[in-house]
Amino acid sequence: MPREAEPSNNAKAFLLQALRENVRLDGRAFDEFRQIDLSFGDEYGVATARLGKTKVMVRVSSEVVKASADRKFDGVFTISTELSPIASPAFEVGRQDQAEVLLSRILEKTIRRSGALDTESLCIIAGQKCFHVRADVHVLDHDGSLVDASCLALVAALMHYRRPDFEVRGEEVQIFDPREREPIKLSMQHQPFCVTFGYYEDGSVMLLDSTLLEEQCREGEVMISMNRFGEICQIAKYSGEPVDAMSVLNCMNVALEKVKVFDKLVKAKLEEDEKRRDVGGLMAELSAENAR
Amino acid sequence: MAPYTNIPLSPAELSYLQTSLSATPPIRPDGRSPTQFRPLVAEADILPSANGSARVCFSDGTEAVVGIKAEVERTGRADVFREGESEGEDVNATGEGKGRNEWLEVAIDVPGLRDDDALPVFLGAMLSEALGADGALRDRLWINARFHWRLYVDILLLSPPLSYPLPLLSLTTHLALLNTRLPALLSQGDEDPLFNDDWDASTHLYPRPSKPSPATQKPPITLLVTTTGPNILFDPSRDELAVAESVLAVSAAPTASGSLSVVAIRSVDPPSRLTAAGVPREINSASGATATASAGEVLAAREKDEGRGVWRAPRGGVGRKVVAEVVKMVVAKGGVGEEVLAGLEGVET
Amino acid sequence: MPLDTSTYILAHLRLDGRRWNELRRLQAQMSTQAAADGSSYFEMGNTKIICTVAGPQEQKSGGGGRSQQDKAKIEVEVNFAGFSGMDRKKRARSDKRTSEMQHTIASAFESTLLTHLFPHSTITLNLHILSQDGSLLAACLNAATLALVDAGIPMTDYISATTVATTASYADKEEEADPLLDLNGLEEQELPFLTIASSGGEDRVCSLVLETKVHMARLEPMISVGLDGCSQIRGILDGVIRAHGRKVLEGKVG
Repeated sequence: MPREAEPSNNAKAFLLQALRENVRLDGRAFDEFRQIDLSFGDEYGVATARLGKTKVMVRVSSEVVKASADRKFDGVFTISTELSPIASPAFEVGRQDQAEVLLSRILEKTIRRSGALDTESLCIIAGQKCFHVRADVHVLDHDGSLVDASCLALVAALMHYRRPDFEVRGEEVQIFDPREREPIKLSMQHQPFCVTFGYYEDGSVMLLDSTLLEEQCREGEVMISMNRFGEICQIAKYSGEPVDAMSVLNCMNVALEKVKVFDKLVKAKLEEDEKRRDVGGLMAELSAENAR
Repeated sequence: MAPYTNIPLSPAELSYLQTSLSATPPIRPDGRSPTQFRPLVAEADILPSANGSARVCFSDGTEAVVGIKAEVERTGRADVFREGESEGEDVNATGEGKGRNEWLEVAIDVPGLRDDDALPVFLGAMLSEALGADGALRDRLWINARFHWRLYVDILLLSPPLSYPLPLLSLTTHLALLNTRLPALLSQGDEDPLFNDDWDASTHLYPRPSKPSPATQKPPITLLVTTTGPNILFDPSRDELAVAESVLAVSAAPTASGSLSVVAIRSVDPPSRLTAAGVPREINSASGATATASAGEVLAAREKDEGRGVWRAPRGGVGRKVVAEVVKMVVAKGGVGEEVLAGLEGVET
Repeated sequence: MPLDTSTYILAHLRLDGRRWNELRRLQAQMSTQAAADGSSYFEMGNTKIICTVAGPQEQKSGGGGRSQQDKAKIEVEVNFAGFSGMDRKKRARSDKRTSEMQHTIASAFESTLLTHLFPHSTITLNLHILSQDGSLLAACLNAATLALVDAGIPMTDYISATTVATTASYADKEEEADPLLDLNGLEEQELPFLTIASSGGEDRVCSLVLETKVHMARLEPMISVGLDGCSQIRGILDGVIRAHGRKVLEGKVG
């Protein structure tokens, strides 16, 4: 079974010593993120996020399915995560890795359980037909902060995606091809982002956006997901040395600031992308909301 | 390989055990008489969320919990049709003969083993076989022509299976079933069932008479019996199982007349079959025999030695007379079966 | 299925009649099973858990070859009994929620157990959930602490855990929001809540899991009430352990 190679004792000691002297190996401040890069594909719903070397691609797609019997007025929304050997030799295909379970659980809690996507809007005919929106998270390169990067990419992809328009005539449903009618944005209720804190030295040093090496050396981590209104969707501090309650609360304030930055970034990038697509300013005329 | 078959005993130890167990009367390692059971700790009705539950701990440390849940289920359409026909001639509302074995579901969970491993599957089959053979139980699950109870019997072995866990699981299941209560039915006939939500008014699945009588309906019990030499031993410990020549699982249930009857009997592959045989002294080079014997010679020497104290795995098979004797000991008036049932009845809830 | 807890505002009594800072009835036993190296039975209201510990023992051949050879590996298996919930349900072992719970418990104990004393070995925790009525993860952590003490595995401190909810999920009802301690199953379905575990002294948070949306302003009172609850539970666990120790010394057990 392949496994991530442990860093050598020297490498660990060097990193920790540097942290004690308030220096990170790549020269960043403790609460500084690496270069965040967000790009969209040609198709709707494809987003790629980069945090330094970490690279995550998310693809959102949808299909029309039969509504589930116990949730008649809701559509279906699933998130599937895959950690393949492309990201790191430590990942194996087909085996449920602990890291993968945690990643998918955090994304699930952050985005699905917090109701970021309004699943009721995916319903076509109650109890019969609905959209199944599916988000596939592919980790392409792993250098720490997987959860943060995946969450960013996932939210961006969901906001970028457009589902096909439909029309109901009695029992008949007609789904329009994107060429017939301009597809419609998903209705998002809020945009949560995840921020992971790694701590060292008994909680006195808190790092944001750890690299893989920093992750391997840390004493514990706190993962916080919230939206720009300060609503926490999820906190997970599974492991590691106990920390002071106060420092956890401090993390919240830092996280809120970072989430606001993420939120702005995603919106700016989306706008940029929209402009790129809107050649000749025809978009407004094609909108489904216009009178026919 | 199931854990209880890994026997950490040498051929000499096995031989010693076998000799003392086949003496008349047998000398068991813990000094019990052949029909005596090991002490056990039992509790019933331990879980508020289950219709019936029980926990039993054997003194060797094995522990099991059984929870029984009942759910109302709509009887399939085909059944309604069939039963609709019989309804005309048969107007009694007791459900006699209308129960079906599928309404009873037994699931066994053994730590470290998958659900489809041989041991849990085999144990589950044996236990549900005994429960199913008692036709009265499934008939009591009948509510009306359209609805029935589905009874889920979840058996949880909490400890690693040190000895063959069948008697433990069976006794726990018995105790749980004995304490299973179903809400009292308020509706009549073939209406949608409506139940009394007062739990104090609930009825026992196995009705309890106001005064103790031998004719009480009770769930079956399955006992494990081994034979060693001429002796029949009840409740074998792990070491005793290791030298057993045959292992029988006998399920008995009380009948309407008050006596016990055998509802199922199965022979279990004795773990002793997998033990390594001892080497007779004449050919054992470690004890001074000069020439190293060939495999054929070893075999011949072993055959000659028959019954003279060198351990050899039993060849299996059990005589009809022995089986008859075992059955008699279980079901006889004042026999082992009655003793166990009486013991379990005394368990406080 | 939403429930009506609006009555709380009127009488400040919860569905089961408790006040906001009251724990449910807590019962615990140690050494319940002779065959295990350590075992415990833990009850928080109607949540009932049996925990058994095997080990430290030699690493199983199947999972061998791991790199963590200088300290013991902690394996946790959480098993939901089919009869534990309201409806009879069998939960698959590969369920992600279960494996997240297992991970949380295992990693929580990695920091308090002195695993470096047992290189090349495994400590296996088996948790059987017999009846579930809220605060599952917290009850599992408490039960595991007792069983590990019973197994005699050295640890720096107990882990005591509890759950806290808040009666208002949004900031606009700030004044009326109360934190509630130790939730039962019904409250857990309706209110935003978190599970908090503490060890290593007052105010030290060992694990913290929040899964429902809540405003960050509510978090501080929740955590402080939670830590207070943890120290109450710690006291109870300590009482159970000392009583058990006394019994063992007097030769009544084992």
